[in-house]
Amino acid sequence: MHELATAFSTQSNLLTPIITGIANGSAYGLLGLGLVLLYKSNRIFNFAQGEFATIAAIVAYVFDHGTGFVPKLPYFVAIALGILAATLTAMATERLVIRPLFHRPRVVLVVATIGVALFLIGVEGMLPYPQTASLRTISDVLNVQSYVFRVDNVVVLDQDLAKFLALVLLAIAAFLFFRYTPTGTAILAVSQDATAARVVGISVERISMTTWAIAGLLGGVAGVLLAVPPSGSVTPGSLTGLTLTVAFSAAVLGGMTSLPGAFVGGLGIGLIESFANADHSFVPGLNSLPTAQAEVAVAVVLLVVLLVRPRGLLGKEA
Amino acid sequence: MAAQTELLGHYDPGAADRRASAVGWLARAVAFAPVLLLVLVLPAHSGDWTNDAIFAAIYAMVGLSMNVLVGYTGQISLGQQAFLGIGALTAANVVHTGTNVPDPFTFALGMVAAIAVSAGGALVLGAVALRIRGLYLALVTLVFGSVTADAIFTIPALNGNDAGVSAYRPSAITPDYSYYLFALAMVGVCVYVDVWIRRSKVGRGLIALRDNELVASAYGINVLSYKLLGFVLSGAMAGLAGGVFAFWSQEFSDKDFTAAAGFNKALIFVVMVVVGGLGNRAGVIAAAAFFALVDPLFAGIAHHTGWLDFYTNHKAYISNVIGAVLLLQTVIFNPGGLGQVLRPFTKWFAGHRFSMHDEHGDAAAAALAGSSDVRA
Repeated sequence: MHELATAFSTQSNLLTPIITGIANGSAYGLLGLGLVLLYKSNRIFNFAQGEFATIAAIVAYVFDHGTGFVPKLPYFVAIALGILAATLTAMATERLVIRPLFHRPRVVLVVATIGVALFLIGVEGMLPYPQTASLRTISDVLNVQSYVFRVDNVVVLDQDLAKFLALVLLAIAAFLFFRYTPTGTAILAVSQDATAARVVGISVERISMTTWAIAGLLGGVAGVLLAVPPSGSVTPGSLTGLTLTVAFSAAVLGGMTSLPGAFVGGLGIGLIESFANADHSFVPGLNSLPTAQAEVAVAVVLLVVLLVRPRGLLGKEA
Repeated sequence: MAAQTELLGHYDPGAADRRASAVGWLARAVAFAPVLLLVLVLPAHSGDWTNDAIFAAIYAMVGLSMNVLVGYTGQISLGQQAFLGIGALTAANVVHTGTNVPDPFTFALGMVAAIAVSAGGALVLGAVALRIRGLYLALVTLVFGSVTADAIFTIPALNGNDAGVSAYRPSAITPDYSYYLFALAMVGVCVYVDVWIRRSKVGRGLIALRDNELVASAYGINVLSYKLLGFVLSGAMAGLAGGVFAFWSQEFSDKDFTAAAGFNKALIFVVMVVVGGLGNRAGVIAAAAFFALVDPLFAGIAHHTGWLDFYTNHKAYISNVIGAVLLLQTVIFNPGGLGQVLRPFTKWFAGHRFSMHDEHGDAAAAALAGSSDVRA
């Protein structure tokens, strides 16, 4: 016998999950953008993307607070330095790890990115600073109230709105970049046929470096946006262990080859998760779901997409 | 290319030039003594060492199970820790005797169940995952690993209401050193299965598939069922390791496999099979034992050099960095892994002439180096 179903409420059964879902989904989308970029250009899964983001958050945190010999810098300078650090890390990864493996099977590259992720987690963990990097929100910095508006008494936090807007802008920018700029076209050309691209005068090495730099930049932006309270603080490995798998599922749902797909997939997975986690007691019989229902839901979506439509919602090919 | 055609034949390169003399065998026996000392005598030294040695044996089994999957079938798995967990969970729950010591029969039943349930899990995962093409398999196994741990291992009925399920050993192997010898015997079983796979039609089929799926299927190899067999054998080995793991820690606790603990295991298992050398038994066992012993090893070093504070504060990260550096070093500079480095010595011990030049290079290493595309 099940308990009596409670009444359905628009606020707690619909609005709150939607807003949470969009906020979390934006995070998955932001990480997913970098994953899609590298899959689109190199046909690899980059397991180090989560740590690119973590590095940005940590560097921004250290410069914002100023510990030890590190000077305390203005908030926005610290954020910029964090993103720069992520970009440089990605470029170093390309030069030291990816380029020597350029002509190896892609599975070797994927294993190598796992190695990079492990290495970065280890290095971050051994640095002498507090292990939990939690950045101030923009409203904290500007000393204003920490919400922008309410929808039917549900508060929309400015940091969640920032994530969403950043995701929209970056997805559009990346889409336009690939569609209209010479560099973007060159990246696609190299991904289709590196030798042919070289023949028409494209430097494959420079393109590879550019791609990874952009991936690092996207990861960095994701990192500084994800490391804000209350939902986010970043510790070494936390983004890789918890967020990256879901971000991969989001990217697969949207289509690994589609940058707008990262946006669609991110929000889709975010919403699926939040509705799976939400209060189901208004549905008779669903008031005692097993644990980890959000994780199971995401896994089911991933499997169904891969089995039924491997190219995802917006992707071009499998 | 030559290495690949070699593997399609009976895998025993140069059996004819095994011509070590009696003195030669004696020399090999003497040279092997330190290895035996390290493996058999040193763990008897103290309780902590025995404990660490059992853990190394468990990792060796997991390494061999990864070797079957990644080395022979060329499928990458980021969810192997789930099979270790399924094995541990099954063994502990089958034996479940509270605080009493189980009789040998129940214990054996627990071990067999651990193997069977893990193999079944691998069959289910394989049946789904093998329909998914390319690198996506890596994602599916990754998700499988974390979902199995977070959704199934956390069910209160299976993990002793979050308190852990006790798994005591039968009286004959209750002492740590006896249990270590039992674990070594289980490693022996895994090695035997590995050798059998490599020498049998199954192994040749798997390796042919790994090297070129199209050609292999043209030779009449059933792609799906062979790959599935690889999955199941690998899952069964990991399940056996899980059973040994449960009776080593004397309980099953879901916390060993959920969240960061599980994720770390998954990555370390991939690292150790690559560092050991794909398809290379001796290398994989050595690498697995090394990664199992990294923590106690560094604890010891830190203890004697005054770095103990740094070590205890950064314990989890030290093995990460070591694993990562070894992994990157291996894939970039030494695709054959530790196995390739050890190969002149392992061949010498097997009765061949000592030679640093190995004309029968490992096909897996060659594949990793890029002569053919290892399918993921």
